[in-house]
Amino acid sequence: MSDRNSISIIIVRKTLMVTVPSDPDDATVSALQDEVLAAMQRVDAKGVVLDIGSVETLDSFFARTVAETASMVALMGGRTVVVGMRPSVAVTATQIGITLGGIETALSVERALDLLDRPVTGRSRR
Amino acid sequence: MTGTAQGEVSIRSEGDIVAARRSVREAVMELGFGLTDVTRVVTAASELARNVHKYGGGGVMRWRRLESGGRRGIELEFIDQGPGIADVELALQQGYSSGKGLGLGLPAARRLMDELEIRTAPGAGTTVTSRKWCPP
Repeated sequence: MSDRNSISIIIVRKTLMVTVPSDPDDATVSALQDEVLAAMQRVDAKGVVLDIGSVETLDSFFARTVAETASMVALMGGRTVVVGMRPSVAVTATQIGITLGGIETALSVERALDLLDRPVTGRSRR
Repeated sequence: MTGTAQGEVSIRSEGDIVAARRSVREAVMELGFGLTDVTRVVTAASELARNVHKYGGGGVMRWRRLESGGRRGIELEFIDQGPGIADVELALQQGYSSGKGLGLGLPAARRLMDELEIRTAPGAGTTVTSRKWCPP
């Protein structure tokens, strides 16, 4: 599991728990999006917890793919919570203007699961 | 300080972007940069290596250790023989991109590094040289 390009998706309470490897190549980042969307449909998931706690470099390509994936998950009726961003990654991402476009974030997986159990606030749903 | 003072990574495939990141990470960690600065430099290297691969048709990254007036730093040079950049000022603006990117690559690298110079001309390839100094 420590392979730099292995994506792990575990399903807990109809939620996809996705662990991103520490230094993935672009193909792995793209594959992550495909696998998350396929799993969303397969297990009729309510949301995605994307654990980026081991990610050391979040560049614009990676960030854009994460933001895109979250938009696609939203179109499929799910929510995405990004978890565990390292302080050095958060500082760097902010400096270069990376925003995760309104994606929910949490400090830990546990808090992310709590968040997904609560109804969406501040956003109208039709 | 031990270890090598310079290095080179050929950028021919997507996987070489990872190789470039690793090489730079090792180099700056050895220089004694703090973790946030390591992340800044590696992120800049990732953006510039991807530009070489995606827009420059491949090329090379060279890094070398700098020592000047008691300061230590690193210089990263990205060289490709691609189509070049017609309007450098435009390419440095956030949001501009000639390809499928978000237009963040060059402006991101400029923000993360202390110095960044671009030598380019249409049809003549692009060389991006950037430096980051270790805070005292």
